[in-house]
Parts: sequence; C-alpha cells; structure tokens
Amino acid sequence: MIVVLLAVIVVVVLIPVMMYNSLINKKNQVANVFASIDALLKKRFDLVPNLVETVKTYMKHEKSLLTKVTEMRAKAVSGRLSDDDRIQLDNQLTKALGGIMVAVENYPDLKANQNFLQLQASLNEIEEQISAARRAYNATVTTYNNAIEMFPTNIMASMMNYKLKNLFEIPEEERKNVDVGNIFKSR
Amino acid sequence: MKSLNDLREFYLKTLRPDLKILDDRRKKIVRKLLLIGVPTFIVVGLCLLVILANELEINVVFVPFFLGIAVMAIAYHFLTKKFIADFKSSIIQRIVRFVDENLRYLSSACVSESEFKASRIFRHRIDRYRGDDLVQGRIGKTDVKFSEVHAEYKTETRDSKGNRRTQWHTIFKGLFYIADFNKHIRGEIVILPDTAERLFGRLGRKLQSLNKPRGQLISLEDPEFEKAFAVYGDDQIQSRYILSTSLMKRIMEFKKKTRRDIYLSFLGSSVYIAVSFAKALFEPRIFKTLLDFEVVQEYFEDLTLAYGIVEDLNLNTRIWSKQ
Repeated sequence: MIVVLLAVIVVVVLIPVMMYNSLINKKNQVANVFASIDALLKKRFDLVPNLVETVKTYMKHEKSLLTKVTEMRAKAVSGRLSDDDRIQLDNQLTKALGGIMVAVENYPDLKANQNFLQLQASLNEIEEQISAARRAYNATVTTYNNAIEMFPTNIMASMMNYKLKNLFEIPEEERKNVDVGNIFKSR
Repeated sequence: MKSLNDLREFYLKTLRPDLKILDDRRKKIVRKLLLIGVPTFIVVGLCLLVILANELEINVVFVPFFLGIAVMAIAYHFLTKKFIADFKSSIIQRIVRFVDENLRYLSSACVSESEFKASRIFRHRIDRYRGDDLVQGRIGKTDVKFSEVHAEYKTETRDSKGNRRTQWHTIFKGLFYIADFNKHIRGEIVILPDTAERLFGRLGRKLQSLNKPRGQLISLEDPEFEKAFAVYGDDQIQSRYILSTSLMKRIMEFKKKTRRDIYLSFLGSSVYIAVSFAKALFEPRIFKTLLDFEVVQEYFEDLTLAYGIVEDLNLNTRIWSKQ
C-alpha cells in the first residue's frame, strides 16, 4: 500500500517537473537560434563598407543607392533600435543589396573584378547562412508553439504564462521577384 | 551528356565487333562448363544412389552434393576470371571514356575501406570489404570518385552439436560515391532512409531522436523529404545551410531516379552517397548473349546515373565561399 502511494507521489511530482524543464528547454532553444540570426545579420551589415568601396569607382550612376546602404548600416550599428525596427531595417537592406546586384549587370568590368567576385561569394555565403538560420528559427519556434498548444504541456505552459511566438515571415514585397524596371525608376 | 542515340551509334560502330569476339569466348566457356558439369552431376547422382541404397546416415547425402557444387564453383571461377577482366578492360573501359574522356577506370580498384568508414554512414564493424570498377575524374569543377562496394560483418555461433557456424551479413552492397562538395561543411550531417517514419509517423520521429549516438535529429520543412529520410546533424543551422530547400528537392529527385535506398553524408569537404544495388554492376553476363544493345545500354545507364550526380545535385555551382 505504502509502495503504491510512494509511486503515485513520485509520478505526480516527476511529470510536472519534466514538463516544466522541457518547456524551458524549448524557450531557450528559440532564444539561442534568434541570437545566431542576430549575429549573422550583423556580419552582413559589416560587409557593406567593403562593398561600397569596391563598387563606387565603377558604378558612378548608382551613387544614391550606395549612400542609402551606407546610411542603413550606420543606423544598424548605432544599436538604438527595437527588435521590430531591426527586422524592418534588415528587410530594407536585403532589397537594397538586391538592387545593387542587379545594377552590377551593366558594368562588365566590375563583374570581372577579383575583389568584387570575392565579395559576391561572401555575400552569397552570408545570405545562405541567414536563410538556414531563419529556417532553424522557424523549426525551433514550431516545436515551442507545439508544446505550448498541445495537451498536456499546455496546462503547464499557461501556468508559466508562455505565449505563442511568431515565425519568421518574408514580407509580401520581398516575395515578389525584384522588378528591374522599378529599381531603375525609383532611383 | 551523351544520349541513347549517341550510344547506339557508338555501339554499332565501335563496340559491336569486339562484343562479337567476346561473345564467342563466352559461348566457349559455357560449353566447357557443361563439359565439366554433366559428368559432375552424374557422379553426384551415382553417389547419392549408393548412399541411399546402403541406407547410410542421411547427413552423408550432403557430402557429394557440396563437393559437386564446389567443383562447379571452382571451374566457373577459373574459366571466367580472365574473360571478365578482358571484358572490363575492353568494353567497360570504352563506355566510361565514351561518357567522358576525362574519366579514369580501374576495374579491380575500389573506394578504400578508410574512405568508406570516413563517411560515417555505416558504422558497423567491417569484417570483409571488397569492391571493383573504380571510376575517378573531374567533372566541371568537381572531383568525383565512385565504385562498387560490398561490406560485410560476420557472426559466429555454436550450434547444438558444438560446431562453429560463421554467417556473413551485408552492411552495404552497391554503388559508393564521393564528390567534392560546393559549400564549406562545418560538423557532419548524415541522411539515412527513414524506416521508422514510414511505419510510425510522428511517434517514429520521437523514437529516432532517441538514437543518441548519431547527433541531433534535424526536422526539415520538406514533407516529402522528411518522409523518405531521417537526418542527423551536429548543428541545427549548419545542417540547414548544407541542406538548402533546393538541395533537398534535388536529392528527392535523384532518389526517385534510382528507385532504390540511398544514404548520404556531408563531412570534411565531401559529400558521400551510397546507392544500394542488389545486382552486380558492370559484370558481363555468362549465360546470356552479350551482343544485344540492351546489354550495353544497361552499363551506360548505370554509369550515367553516377556520372549525373554532379549535375543532379548542382555541385558545379560555386557561388559561395568555397570555390
């Protein structure tokens, strides 16, 4: 009889503990991947000065694009932005970089320049890493959201006041293919 | 890449005369095998009759039977050895050159056991390792190397009478392929056919994640890919860096093309691919004619399956930091 009672107590104590720890684990995983994304985005911003230097002597007609990108970097580095602002700024940079890469097509000398080619490879590398990090973030957030919504961990989650997190979504404008005409017009 | 029509032309102009010579040799071998086989069969039959007539212990029946098989096996081995070697150096060698003249073919070499182990796909202890038909070369910007491989392990048991029985089990048999990968790989990623998921669904994934020694189970977004494969990697982000959405689609397409179980791993600077084949590749048929175009076509198709991996997985696209 006592053995059964002890067993029940152990189960009643153990299961909530396991659920609690598992939720903490998932929350921390999300934070971990988000931090990695942040680090990668910073790395991308750090490529901007080099890009502007390499490109500006060739792309004399693209001055406004280049100044825009330099300004964006200054804003990012200043460190006075909220999370949402940071994400918005990052999206803007993605668009601007896309515009520059399209414009490069008009400068065959630049396309063959060794420095530029290396830079392009670095940019591609960072973009690929960021894409991977975003996907990893979505996966960890999905695991976390599942735990928060599914029974029986949802009971524990509401006790801990855990809320659903948002997935990384690509803003609608980015999803449309870069329209070359618009880029030249908007300058 | 060469088309079937190109192959047909090559077959008619270049291969057919030599195939005829080889086919004649093949027919002679079959005749010799019959010459040895028929008497052997008669002798074994007589022995069996003698044993049954004298009502000896039933186990003795096996002795002449196995001796007969042994005699045939030895005869087969000796008669076909040179023939197979000549066939490979003449026909297979030329088909390889036809597919790409920069490829090197070595009929008796294979991917080394250390390279096989380095892939970390099959981690069982290996007791017997053999292979042949090594092809090596550079396709575009990618160095490739592949061969047939047969890796086995043995178990030794003692039966009720105290006799030792050795049984051989296949770890892997088929095509093993190594190529230089187009991205820097940090850590290791292993992709295995997903048996648990096929049977158990989500519960299967939970069971797989308990397979601790393999590293983290990475769950990916492509549902078709997830159903077919289980992915183990060191790092969530690096695994997804290597396994981009487009690469996952390409691997899926390649798997459908082979219609077999495939295993992949990414580590060091290479991608390793193992395609399971029950049949032996690039071997001449002994008991059927060698003259038909279909024979050459099968060799060509098996070869281009491996040769096409560089293009199928887009390995020549070198736009990232690795060149």
